[in-house]
Amino acid sequence: MTAALEITGLAKTFGENIAVDHVELTVPQGSFYGLVGQNGAGKTTTLSMAVGLLRPDAGTAQIFGADVWSDPARAKQLVGVLPDGMAMPERLTGREVLTYLGLLRGLSKEVVAGRAEELLSVLELDGAEKTLVIEYSTGMRKKIGLATALLHAPRLLVLDEPFEAVDPVSAATIKGILRGFVAGGGSVVLSSHVMALVEQLCDHVGVIDKGRVAAAGPLDEVRGAATLEDRFVELVGAGTTAARGLSWL
Amino acid sequence: MAVTITDAARGPSVAITMARMKVAVLRHSVKGQQGGMMASAGVLGALLAGGTIFLAFLDGDWLPAAYAVWMLGWIIGPVFSGGGDETLRPEFFALLGLRPQRMAGGLLVAAFVGLAPAISLLALAGLIVAGVREGVEHGALTGVVAVLVAVPAMVMQLAVFVLLSRVTVALLGLALNSRLGAIGAGVINGVILAFLGQSWIFAIAMGQGREIPAFVQFLPSGWGLLAVRGNYLALAAMAVLIVLLLAAWAALLTRRTGANRTPSARGRRPMRASTPHGAVVAKELRTWTRDLVRNHQLAFALTYGVFFAASPLVLGIPDMLPLAGPIFIMMAAAMTANAYGADGTALWLTLMTPGASDVRGRQLAWLAVVGPVALVLAVVFTAVADGSWPLVLSATFALLGGAVGLVALLSVTGLVPGIDPKNRGGNPLRTSEDDGSATGMAYLMLFVVALTAVPAVLVAVWFGWWGVPVGLLTGALCWWGLGLPAERRLASSGPELLHLMRTGRHPEGDKSSSFKVPDNLSKTQQTIVWICLSLGAIPLIPQGILAAVFVSNGQLGHSWFLATHMPPGLRYPVAIGFMLIGAGMYGTGGWLWQRAKKAEAG
Repeated sequence: MTAALEITGLAKTFGENIAVDHVELTVPQGSFYGLVGQNGAGKTTTLSMAVGLLRPDAGTAQIFGADVWSDPARAKQLVGVLPDGMAMPERLTGREVLTYLGLLRGLSKEVVAGRAEELLSVLELDGAEKTLVIEYSTGMRKKIGLATALLHAPRLLVLDEPFEAVDPVSAATIKGILRGFVAGGGSVVLSSHVMALVEQLCDHVGVIDKGRVAAAGPLDEVRGAATLEDRFVELVGAGTTAARGLSWL
Repeated sequence: MAVTITDAARGPSVAITMARMKVAVLRHSVKGQQGGMMASAGVLGALLAGGTIFLAFLDGDWLPAAYAVWMLGWIIGPVFSGGGDETLRPEFFALLGLRPQRMAGGLLVAAFVGLAPAISLLALAGLIVAGVREGVEHGALTGVVAVLVAVPAMVMQLAVFVLLSRVTVALLGLALNSRLGAIGAGVINGVILAFLGQSWIFAIAMGQGREIPAFVQFLPSGWGLLAVRGNYLALAAMAVLIVLLLAAWAALLTRRTGANRTPSARGRRPMRASTPHGAVVAKELRTWTRDLVRNHQLAFALTYGVFFAASPLVLGIPDMLPLAGPIFIMMAAAMTANAYGADGTALWLTLMTPGASDVRGRQLAWLAVVGPVALVLAVVFTAVADGSWPLVLSATFALLGGAVGLVALLSVTGLVPGIDPKNRGGNPLRTSEDDGSATGMAYLMLFVVALTAVPAVLVAVWFGWWGVPVGLLTGALCWWGLGLPAERRLASSGPELLHLMRTGRHPEGDKSSSFKVPDNLSKTQQTIVWICLSLGAIPLIPQGILAAVFVSNGQLGHSWFLATHMPPGLRYPVAIGFMLIGAGMYGTGGWLWQRAKKAEAG
């Protein structure tokens, strides 16, 4: 079976800094894949290259067999993306953003209207019918971002830090939707540095450290007998500074 | 625990710390890519300051007039160039518990650090020259006193300039929080800038020809000079003005950091589009009506066009009136030259939906917003002024097409990374961190858009109505033909543009931007290239070609054209010498650039 996402030898260097160093990852169809790593480990850079938002120095990314760079139209049809901290068409309301993007994706007006209605109500954004996206809170921005990623019925979701700065109630809503998406045969890749969250949601995990894959595979294989957090600290080998206090406190 | 903070905030250290922060930031930008641009801006500024000091040696009221222009530059500059100097923002210090007065004082001291204040201070050295001349005219003692007064007067005069600039920006920021304010500010800016552009009319209207009107020396910009000339009350008046402006700025700063926008709750018209193309148009049209910065830009362009064209009416000259439409189109194009940059990282959505023709949709929306207004202006004003219909219509059509093609092409090829709209903070005018480049792009757009009308206008001048179909044709060709490469480049280099927008830096090995000085030049060479290419026009055109024209027409002693001030045998040699210097500067800059490009490619 073709993988939902196949990353082969992706590499990216910014100046002197090697951000991503020949990463290989396979996200099987129907899996809920968590990508974990410290801040600056290369998660965002890897995911940006995997979906065609950043041109790699080397390597390829295929979404259900469609190469992101040589066959972008098909690859981008199959994937829904939620990048971290990017702008939206800020002067539109949530419903208008969905209508606009649905039409851009080539959906018919009626289909767009129906799906937008459903997404807004499931994500509890329909209360803010008249609010422009620029006035949204961080949690609302994540939710409208997720809605745009789901709108065109993709088979793979690639989400960069979907739970960052999201309140627990909104987070529960998002988790419910993602679990439903996987149960229905979809595949999800999300990045996070919250281990508990990844353990709770994902069945596969990839650990990225200093631009390389430190470990990857089914969750139980990667963490073994330990918790993911212990295994992670062991893998990235970060000497903990938690015991050292601050001199003036 | 807050006590320790306020203790630190009590001394003069706030001002010194802020000034140090500013110096640190400046040091980084001098080392960085902006260094070359700052060097050429510095040279140009020093030339202007030198010219101002030169005026201090002349009789008549040239010096106060020059200082009035400097003051206007300080007030208007930030409006045109995106909010002025924002190296240190009040938001940075919001949590420190500083009193507004102290914060404003600190920010004021920090505002003195920088290129523009240094150059202005140099220009204000004309006050010392004026002091020395007092001594020559009224005896040594008067001269010594005048020079002693000139030193504090220079500093206080600079403080007045800087504070006026800051208060204007703060007021505008406040105005731009509401639609009415945004449009009102646009109208006021348009009127002021149009009148400045047409100031010759008012000089003539006041019947003074080459004389400077007397009121100019009583403007706040002339108070320093009044003090040097013995009117010490002016010094006290400046001190009072500085205190008042500082208080006003402090009050405005609290409004800014405490600003809390109420979310809009208006009903929204539903989106009726049913195609990808229509969706882009609908999105753009909504942004045009809802984004207060765009409201401001449109109001500015419209007012500028109308007032620039209408001001000769003061002299009873209606001939310029029909130009309101074409000028509005050019200004609107200049204001929107960085269309993609202004939307920030929203570009990612365009990348994720290949084939949705974002460029074409934006072009159509631009035409829908600017076109009708421009046509109404052109038709009404041509009818009123009984102007030349073929000329105005051909220019209007050619400019509309040219602008809509160039806005698409230039905003993609020369993209200046913008600040994402949600991160603009208390200064809505500031749409880019790199406001120097953004302003340069606006001027460039003004120039190239004007060029697109040349064929149609020439045909209209020679063959009358034939100009109109030519204007329609060149307009349509520009619209379609310049949009095409824009669309292609967006598709081929989309990820690179997005990266530029996210980080503010060009990706490694991206040779696509022809505006960028090659990296393999040394810092000194880069500075030389910048100075040569940006300033070569001054010796070549005004001091060379124009001066030679004046000499050949017998117009001698003409303002700053050096050759016209020379003795007979030296006039042409000086003009030709300047032409050679200018050509040599372009040659040197171009040669260094080309050599580096070749080395980079090879």
